[in-house]
Amino acid sequence: MTAAAVVAPSLGPMSGATAAFFGELAERGHDPLLENTKGTLRLELADGKRVDRWFLEVDNGNVAVSRKNAKADCTVRAKKELFDGIAGGEVNATAAVLRGALTIQGDVELMVRLQRLFPGPPVRRTRRSRSADGRRKP
Amino acid sequence: MSDGLVSILDGNTFVVSDSRGDIEASLTDPTGLFAYDTRFLSRWVLTVNGQRLTPLSTDDLQYFETRFFLVPGTGTVYVDSKLSVIRRRAVGNGFREELKILNHDEKPVDLTIRVDAGSDFADLFEVKDALKKKGTYSARVKDGRLVLVYQRETFTRATDISATAPARFDKNGLMFRARIRPHGEWSTNLDVVTAALDSGEARQRPTFAQPRGRQSMEANLDRWLAEAPKLECDWDALRETYRRSLVDLAALRFSPPILGQRSLPAAGLPWFMTMFGRDSILTSLQALPFTPSLAATTLRALGDWQGTRVDDYRDEDPGRILHELRYGELTAFEERPQSPYYGSADATPLFVVLLDEYERWTGDRRLVRELEYEARAALNWIDEYADLMGNGYISYQRRNEKTGLENQCWKDSWDSISYRNGRLASFPRATCELQGYAYDAKIRGARLAREIWDDEELSSRLEKQAAELKRRFNRDFWIAEDEYFALALDKGGKQVDALSSNIGHLLWSGIVDKSKAKAIARHLLGSRLFSGWGVRTLAEGEGRYNPIGYHVGTVWPFDNSFIAWGLRRYGFKDEAAQVAAGILAAAEFFNGRLPEAFGGYERTLTKYPVQYPTACSPQAWSTGTPLLLLRTMLGLEPVGDFLVVDPVLPVGIGHVALLDIPGRWGRVDAFGRGRVSVGEKKGLR
Repeated sequence: MTAAAVVAPSLGPMSGATAAFFGELAERGHDPLLENTKGTLRLELADGKRVDRWFLEVDNGNVAVSRKNAKADCTVRAKKELFDGIAGGEVNATAAVLRGALTIQGDVELMVRLQRLFPGPPVRRTRRSRSADGRRKP
Repeated sequence: MSDGLVSILDGNTFVVSDSRGDIEASLTDPTGLFAYDTRFLSRWVLTVNGQRLTPLSTDDLQYFETRFFLVPGTGTVYVDSKLSVIRRRAVGNGFREELKILNHDEKPVDLTIRVDAGSDFADLFEVKDALKKKGTYSARVKDGRLVLVYQRETFTRATDISATAPARFDKNGLMFRARIRPHGEWSTNLDVVTAALDSGEARQRPTFAQPRGRQSMEANLDRWLAEAPKLECDWDALRETYRRSLVDLAALRFSPPILGQRSLPAAGLPWFMTMFGRDSILTSLQALPFTPSLAATTLRALGDWQGTRVDDYRDEDPGRILHELRYGELTAFEERPQSPYYGSADATPLFVVLLDEYERWTGDRRLVRELEYEARAALNWIDEYADLMGNGYISYQRRNEKTGLENQCWKDSWDSISYRNGRLASFPRATCELQGYAYDAKIRGARLAREIWDDEELSSRLEKQAAELKRRFNRDFWIAEDEYFALALDKGGKQVDALSSNIGHLLWSGIVDKSKAKAIARHLLGSRLFSGWGVRTLAEGEGRYNPIGYHVGTVWPFDNSFIAWGLRRYGFKDEAAQVAAGILAAAEFFNGRLPEAFGGYERTLTKYPVQYPTACSPQAWSTGTPLLLLRTMLGLEPVGDFLVVDPVLPVGIGHVALLDIPGRWGRVDAFGRGRVSVGEKKGLR
């Protein structure tokens, strides 16, 4: 996972870990961790008075990422800062849900699937046979 | 559970009270209303005209419902028999209590009825470890209800208390004034509703679900029992045990709030009402011939939460199956790693074992296809992440040195892995049963790859690896002079040479060379391991042996159920029947509800099984034990689209019929009659 912003013109100007995360996901267009998953997710990330919106359409591993303002099967709300932490691997998404810092409305299952994609914390390479980014090889 | 405490349970909500129905918890006392690993009520005390009540009797109506018959007064001599108080309490999203007072007098009576209420919102871990809280408490009285709230940053837990009869609320409870006419009665419903994860728009105002109706829970239990096979047998106690097991399994089903509506077995009351990889898998395996739906939900839920990244705090690796998921405050603030925690070395291979066994019973190929990615990742974990010593064996050593688990096998207490002389083994530890599970996972994974995923290359690779693992294992773990397998290999690859029950799991997994099986069976049924009730976790004569040591001498019913299955697998049918007979006889002493463990004392010495002091009960894999023992004794084995029945039952059990066993064959019946003498003078009874 690179920290730098990813250039994906359709997604608008972006910076930060969240943008990098969704930018890379959009570029991949497919993730085996989302096989058997179907539905739409809407993320509302509060940044001061602004709300940063992300819209995911997942169809059996295929993912389309956009900034669409539409109703979704699952709506996730958090502060942008927190989500940057999650997308960067510093904050655990499940713990954030448990303490109410990230809320889920609608089909919880979709968020359970999505959390599989978040990276782990920056890796101290102590043991053999780990990929450096902490993601498993597909 | 301590004596005198009454618990009712539904999924991960449960109430523990005294025999009056009152709750007066201290930080270290496990009474209260618990949900999502949090105590929502720590005080719930009923008084009538300022007097506490005295219990006459307590009825456990259902696993989720209890009725208390009480009279006012606490004197040992005098009780006012002019009044009866009945509390009927059912759990489900908190609890509902029907409070009824009967006036038996010819005169009317004026009463002040008060319920003191309060909550410390303790995390279950705090109750276990007595820790201090960091958030703030508040109590609000509004619109005829009392709402108790605990807040720490965005973390909110709340308890909402209301009543159907007019009540006066204050911050410490609620009060009723009632005039009951002669021979009349007064009643109210008290609803206590818990709120944990809020729904999004209601951040400041937790939403409260309605308490679930008693009728719907009753109907649900009836359906659960109706769908399970029927047991007919001459031995009344076995019928009782069987029914108890099915009901407890229903009670332990739970739908984790961040999992959707699926239900799977939680591990056990009171500390483990949550999803555990190992416990949920082993219980699902035990219950497969009876309630196959549990296995399907367990596989899906564990698949969803499979590890995908390297996270040292959670001991997470890609492909690893979780150990434990918790919902309490400490987990929420990452002061504990259970969100979820992955420190288990056996759940991952066992996940593949369950997937294969599930398909063999049900023929549900769809689920095997659906979980193909997860099953492959699990198989990959065994080779890529679990081999810490680079010697071809699964071993474990926690990366979270503070709050991670030292022992990541089922014997997870600190002193469980020792040499004969009692010295503890160094880390990493490669316990023997882990290698058996890995072998079994590879063999079963090979079948799934060939028959369902259509991947011949993976299939033959797994078979080759399995054969090679078996060859090495039978060389490296075998203690030739004493003819058994070492408990583990230590950091240097040296044998940890204590004799333990783990060798029984090796038979179950099939990793044992045929030529060595007889010696293993002899040890398992020999006097050092077999107590007469069951196989001890550690053999008598070992340095750390203690008949009431948690994993170093007690008898664990679930352990024995897998050992019996293993004995059967290698053709030791009589020996399997003997283990089954011992455990089922013990169950009778516990009124059909086996505890997680009981003392390893010689049967002839104590005549009855000695309960382990703080054992959890009901506990899922103890609840599943009689089911697996029935399967084992009846010799039920799916072969293609048929169910093979090959009963070998202990004398004294008499006639046994298990009717309507579900599976890919539809429903079939199995019959058997006891013929194996198990060495007890009068058989089972």
